[in-house]
Amino acid sequence: MRFQSQKVAYWFFATCMLLLSLQIVYGFIMGFARIGLDGLHDFIPFNTARATHTNLLVVWLLTGFMGAAYYIIPEESDRELYSVKLAYIQLLSWVVVGVIAIIGFHFNWWEGRKFLEIPRPLDYLVVVNVLTFLFNIAMTIWQAKKRSTTQLVLFFGLLCAALLYLPGMIYFDNQTLDSYFRWWVVHLWVEGVWELIMGGILAFLLIKLTGVDREVIEKWLYVVVGLTFLSGILGTGHHYYWIGTPKYWLMIGGIFSALEPLAFLGMAIWALNMYRKKGKNHPNKIALYWTLGSAMMSFIGAGFLGFAHTWPSVNQWTHGTLITAMHGHLAFWGAYAMLVLAVISYAMPNLTGRKLFTGMSGYLAFWASNIGMLGMTGALAVAGITQVYLERKLGMDFLVVQKEIIFHFIGMLLAATLFTVGIAYFIVDFIRHGLPSNEAVGKNLGDLD
Amino acid sequence: MLSKSQARAFFLGGTFLFSAIFVFLTVDTVRQNDTRTNVQNMTEDVLKGKEIWEKNNCMGCHTLLGEGAYYAPDLTKVVERRGATWIDVFLDDPQAMFPGERKMVKYNFTKEEKVQVIAFLDWVGKINANGWPPKPNIPIDSIATPQIPQVKSNAVVLSQPEKFSQLCIACHAVGGKGGNVGPALDHVGSKFDSDYLNRWLSDPQAIKPGTNMPKLPLTDPERKDIVTYLSALK
Repeated sequence: MRFQSQKVAYWFFATCMLLLSLQIVYGFIMGFARIGLDGLHDFIPFNTARATHTNLLVVWLLTGFMGAAYYIIPEESDRELYSVKLAYIQLLSWVVVGVIAIIGFHFNWWEGRKFLEIPRPLDYLVVVNVLTFLFNIAMTIWQAKKRSTTQLVLFFGLLCAALLYLPGMIYFDNQTLDSYFRWWVVHLWVEGVWELIMGGILAFLLIKLTGVDREVIEKWLYVVVGLTFLSGILGTGHHYYWIGTPKYWLMIGGIFSALEPLAFLGMAIWALNMYRKKGKNHPNKIALYWTLGSAMMSFIGAGFLGFAHTWPSVNQWTHGTLITAMHGHLAFWGAYAMLVLAVISYAMPNLTGRKLFTGMSGYLAFWASNIGMLGMTGALAVAGITQVYLERKLGMDFLVVQKEIIFHFIGMLLAATLFTVGIAYFIVDFIRHGLPSNEAVGKNLGDLD
Repeated sequence: MLSKSQARAFFLGGTFLFSAIFVFLTVDTVRQNDTRTNVQNMTEDVLKGKEIWEKNNCMGCHTLLGEGAYYAPDLTKVVERRGATWIDVFLDDPQAMFPGERKMVKYNFTKEEKVQVIAFLDWVGKINANGWPPKPNIPIDSIATPQIPQVKSNAVVLSQPEKFSQLCIACHAVGGKGGNVGPALDHVGSKFDSDYLNRWLSDPQAIKPGTNMPKLPLTDPERKDIVTYLSALK
């Protein structure tokens, strides 16, 4: 790391690791419930496990984005963070709000709107928290010695993510409108501004890891995020087919979500091309694995698998089945989870001054978790297709069909175990790096810029 | 080749243009919403029902209009499919109605709350959702699988009592139609006499402790009607 204040990022990353572990635990609870082993039903019913699982995902990814921003922004701005103290206060309050929310879920305290289950009073605290974060980042950029596109795209992405949280806080007594504006948060985050954040982080990593000229990388960053918004904004329409909105959404949503893979394809081609153009080899190969892996897996998971079921005549059968869960798993893993793990892999040696990237465990973490996630996606895909045919096309009873697909969930649990082994390797490596050290300030290990 | 400022113009221009279209379509969607969702039918009960639905995070298991958690059935058309009476009995003790199956939390709703939840689901079922969910379009008999032998019974001759078609049919089948949680009832009349059937329906546990059959809320005349009907199934 170049600057003392970048150390803050370490604590955000550590929080990430903790929340990710917890997310996996809740995933297993749900997986076991699906094969009939629901012994925890009285304490953690499925809806609690589900809300905890998805909210932990959102929270750990956001924590990762914040950590990434605290790491990247000082370096891109060529100055210390505006206020280190504020960053620590922000992290602490963020964790407190998260913990209260998750405990609340176990006592039937929530908002009951998919992905936005956090109760209303806590929503306000989240807003204050995110504003504090943005203020800190904005002040750093404001007083920066230099401006870069990467810095601005990242900031713009974070700002829009915060603004788009607000439509989710309006109460609608009409289910259709409620759902309509809920997607402003969920879709426009995941398939909109989060991709901006992803682009910004990816650009930073590519600059550092490939040594290709910043101007070239940043030009293509604009093209990639341009494609994202071009397809993603009206692509929201694929959530509006069957919730009571006008019929024209079928056409608009269909066409624009068919374009959505282009943004991810652009992202993948961009990352691979920059890698091909590289001048020298960066010693941190593992960070490169995660970076390029994220660009490619996001194309498969978010781009291709999303494309596979958003066309209206397909979606009318797959909507609200395990096909959605299948797409969701690989999409979030490829686009956002792998990216956060890429930033962590890149930043840890720099923060601590320890070159653990030479060992075997980093590769084990990468391959085990990726193969595990692909296995889980495959199991969900087979279960989902079976469900669509038996329940939707033949009209068999829901519960009867669920019994037919128990076998695939056993497969999913096995793949999840492999995935967990990979993540465990990653976390052990994270711990072995130790704490950020003062001796590491002022130098980056093997950067090519 | 594209310059950096052209790339930036592409990003900013595209974002602005498509955001503007999106806002315009949103205004139109909101404008059409009252008709498409029958706002005039959103009674006090419907609104209360939605609150109960959210307060208990029903979407954490069920789906509604296809949105939810895929762990429990989609409830968009549940009132049409099961009927208010069945849902009312089901909510009292969900596990009793589907013994040994996937579990649902017992929420202990009051009579009033149950009415509100059902009103909400009934209203949702009538939203104009562009024809969703679609009807199954592969006829079962077009598939070359060994068919379950259709039982011949005289059920057609006798009309089913209202309560029977509201409650019993969710688990039991007659003439190949109905649920498969409990045994088919096609020949139940030749196995048991009416006195036994009457005692069975009054309190299943008393006759066969540990049975999966729940004790259903039936008035005396309703029970009598069902017993008469069952006795005729020979």
